[in-house]
Amino acid sequence: MNNNQQKQSANKLQRLTQWRYASSIISIVLMLLSLTVIGVKGFNWGLDFTGGVVTEIQINKRITASEIQPLMTAAYHQEVSVISASEPGRWVLRYADIPDENKRPELQQVLAPLASELTVLNSSIVGPQVGQELIEQGSLALLVAMLCIMGYLSYRFEWRLASGALFALVHDVVFVLAFFALSQMEFNLTVLAAILAILGYSLNDSIIIADRIREQLIAKPQWSASDINNLAVQSTFSRTMVTSGTTLLTVVALWMMGGSPLEGFSIAMFIGILTGTWSSISVGATLPEFLGLKAEHYIVEPLPDTP
Amino acid sequence: MTSISKNKPLNKQLNKYAQWKYWVLIVTLIILFLSALPSWYGEDAAVQLSTKSPNTISSEQVYQVLSHAGISSKRIDQQQQNVLVVLQQADQQTQAKNILSESFADRAQITLALAPAAPNWLLKMGFEPIKLGLDLRGGVQFLLDVDLDLVFKNHATMVSDSVKQFVRKEHISTVLVRQGDGAEVTIETTQTDAKRLIRQFIAEQYPLWQVSGHQDMLVVTLNESEQVKLTNLTVQQNLQIMRSRIEELGITEALVQRQGENRIRIELPGVQDPATAKNVIGATASLAFYPVAETGSVNAIVLKDESGQPVYVARKPVLGGDHIVDARAAVGDFGMSKVNISLDSAGGKLMSDFSRDNIGKPMATAYSEYSRNEKGQAQQTTKIISVATIQSQLGNQFEITGAGSHQEAQQLALLLRAGSMTAPVTIVEERTIGPSLGAENIANGFAALALGMAITLLFMACWYRRLGWVANVALMANMVMLFGLLGLIPGAVLTLPGIAGLVLTVGMAVDTNVLIFERIKDKLAEGRSFANAIDNGFNSAFSTIFDANFTTMITAVVLFSIGNGPIQGFALTLGLGLLTSMFTGIFASRAIINLVYGRDTRRAIKV
Repeated sequence: MNNNQQKQSANKLQRLTQWRYASSIISIVLMLLSLTVIGVKGFNWGLDFTGGVVTEIQINKRITASEIQPLMTAAYHQEVSVISASEPGRWVLRYADIPDENKRPELQQVLAPLASELTVLNSSIVGPQVGQELIEQGSLALLVAMLCIMGYLSYRFEWRLASGALFALVHDVVFVLAFFALSQMEFNLTVLAAILAILGYSLNDSIIIADRIREQLIAKPQWSASDINNLAVQSTFSRTMVTSGTTLLTVVALWMMGGSPLEGFSIAMFIGILTGTWSSISVGATLPEFLGLKAEHYIVEPLPDTP
Repeated sequence: MTSISKNKPLNKQLNKYAQWKYWVLIVTLIILFLSALPSWYGEDAAVQLSTKSPNTISSEQVYQVLSHAGISSKRIDQQQQNVLVVLQQADQQTQAKNILSESFADRAQITLALAPAAPNWLLKMGFEPIKLGLDLRGGVQFLLDVDLDLVFKNHATMVSDSVKQFVRKEHISTVLVRQGDGAEVTIETTQTDAKRLIRQFIAEQYPLWQVSGHQDMLVVTLNESEQVKLTNLTVQQNLQIMRSRIEELGITEALVQRQGENRIRIELPGVQDPATAKNVIGATASLAFYPVAETGSVNAIVLKDESGQPVYVARKPVLGGDHIVDARAAVGDFGMSKVNISLDSAGGKLMSDFSRDNIGKPMATAYSEYSRNEKGQAQQTTKIISVATIQSQLGNQFEITGAGSHQEAQQLALLLRAGSMTAPVTIVEERTIGPSLGAENIANGFAALALGMAITLLFMACWYRRLGWVANVALMANMVMLFGLLGLIPGAVLTLPGIAGLVLTVGMAVDTNVLIFERIKDKLAEGRSFANAIDNGFNSAFSTIFDANFTTMITAVVLFSIGNGPIQGFALTLGLGLLTSMFTGIFASRAIINLVYGRDTRRAIKV
């Protein structure tokens, strides 16, 4: 390698450091913004969590929501939300449950003035206590998963590297949650599953970089942490892009073809993979450096030759 | 980490798998491929007629009835007591069942069923199609809540009543007995004597209850292990009742399962109308004790016992099952099985009065079930479940002996508790998925899977030209293995989120190969030969692959243990996908690469 090339690559690494710092700051600012959004807007909890009734029906395509709404509101004595489903003529009706079975109006009869032919595609009635339990269970699942992951990380890595991966993880989850708060898309069980899958995925990305950092720290103890980080990010970059790329593409396939039941899941995964990739090469790799990561932390005590 | 261990024999060749490893690989793949095959064929809707004795209904008869109604069948299998009609069109299943019921209801039980469409030789080997969740199949799901509070309360009432009685009998004044929440009774008194007597009474009569006291108050609670036992007994009893009721609905593949502490989940695939199922599930049972009248007596009603023999009983029962607080099977003297029954105080009084005058006479126990039939009319079915002779005057705790074996005694205890309706159930969740929506979900899910797979295969082929095809073969083997495992694992159910997990697996599974290939690229860039880079690449990528997959595995396990039906399906495919992708990504691809490129000592190769 001649001098010129070395200088160029040094410049490149310098730029990478700057980029990492800048992107980390962006990440932290965005994260604070996200937390504010979640706090202000809250979530549009799905039926699984709130309880109530959701019914999907198929009727004549010419009937509009403004025709269905008044009939439903009159029959159920409450505001009934009528949302158009994926196809024309399909509607999702959501309302609070009427506990007394005998007073529940028959849907066929309620909408009889509009159309004689009505098919109920699916219907769910969830009691309020079930929803409350699910929220508790869901939070518990998140908590347990986080704890297990933290346990594993601290066993596998030194705390500085572990905290970088963990911060990236929280960052990604907060970001996805903020999206659901901002867009007020329904937060249902499949979205919760997606969030947990994102936990795993985001970590996957961070760990691969952390693994490289550790490997290089041991191999090149005289290097500065910043250079090591740059090298690790650089040398795993094409892997990060390829894996994120293929995963992203399959999630897009799911988004496009999977139909409405998997829409929330696909969108959550899509955002999660994007931020997961971003955070692992920016804040996830930079935070350990700020925390004072040094090669000494990974120097293996030389074993004495004689036992 | 990357160097070859020095302990290995020197003549060991680089990139050579032992022959047995190839055998393991090939055999595993073949078995899982065979296991995945039946799912490819899918299942056909069918109707099953089961008769009590063999060959009562011939397949010709069934064929004629069906073809008369214009329903075409793929095949009609006759096996001993069962006739299975596999239908041409799935949407005619209910219609076919109704038509067959009209002609054969008197001779056979007619149930909806599914028959695997795979060829017979495959099924004979024990391979079955993957079970589909309700969201893919259509059907009704209920979540029932068993009200345990009432059970505990009934027990507490029993104790407080008898303490009150005891206090009255012993002429202890200024004692206040009150019932707390659940299984708790508080007794207030200032007299130390009274306290001692009451403690003694409870210790003798109700040894399962704990007494704790502070100052002028005694708190009596059912001990913890007994509360757990009572909870389990109550839920199990309800499970049993639900199972037997659903059997009558004629759904062969119904699932009745305990969920959590006091919930019961019922899945009825193929059912489209929740109302009928609800009537059956919501049926109530009751129980009554009758004096047995003389056979042929005019002033009596005739009830049938379990073997169909008529039993004459008085028109008015001694007491109803609503007085029963508890019933348990136990082993009595000489190892005879018996059933211990506890009554509330009113019931105890009635029983004591009646039994005093009727020692040596038989008493019958009748069990009735009220349900609604298909037209919504209430129906009552009553049968005699036991006839026993009264040995002595009975109080509010007595036992029935001569109930037969211990198993039969347990069955009787179960029915007694069922009849006492101690724990009412309420439906807290009800989901109906139309069959068309289920089919649509399958179509959508697999379209997404196909598209995701196609994109990934194409991408890998273009990106890693020389090694890409290896990754693609590994990916396809991965899918075959996943489907094979889903078919093999008992209890594994494929749901819509489960398909999402499969799609996600496709995207993430190539990661294993990507990590290895990138390492190989690095090693090639260092100037090693291709064969050497392969060996080094695989070895150095392993710990990273393991680390990365392990964390995702953690989330999959957590999701599986905490989630409910559909989410468990997602966790299952995600977790299994990780395992199979490790197998195919590391083991299978290495096996292929060893064979093809293992001896390639060229340097500066592009991959």
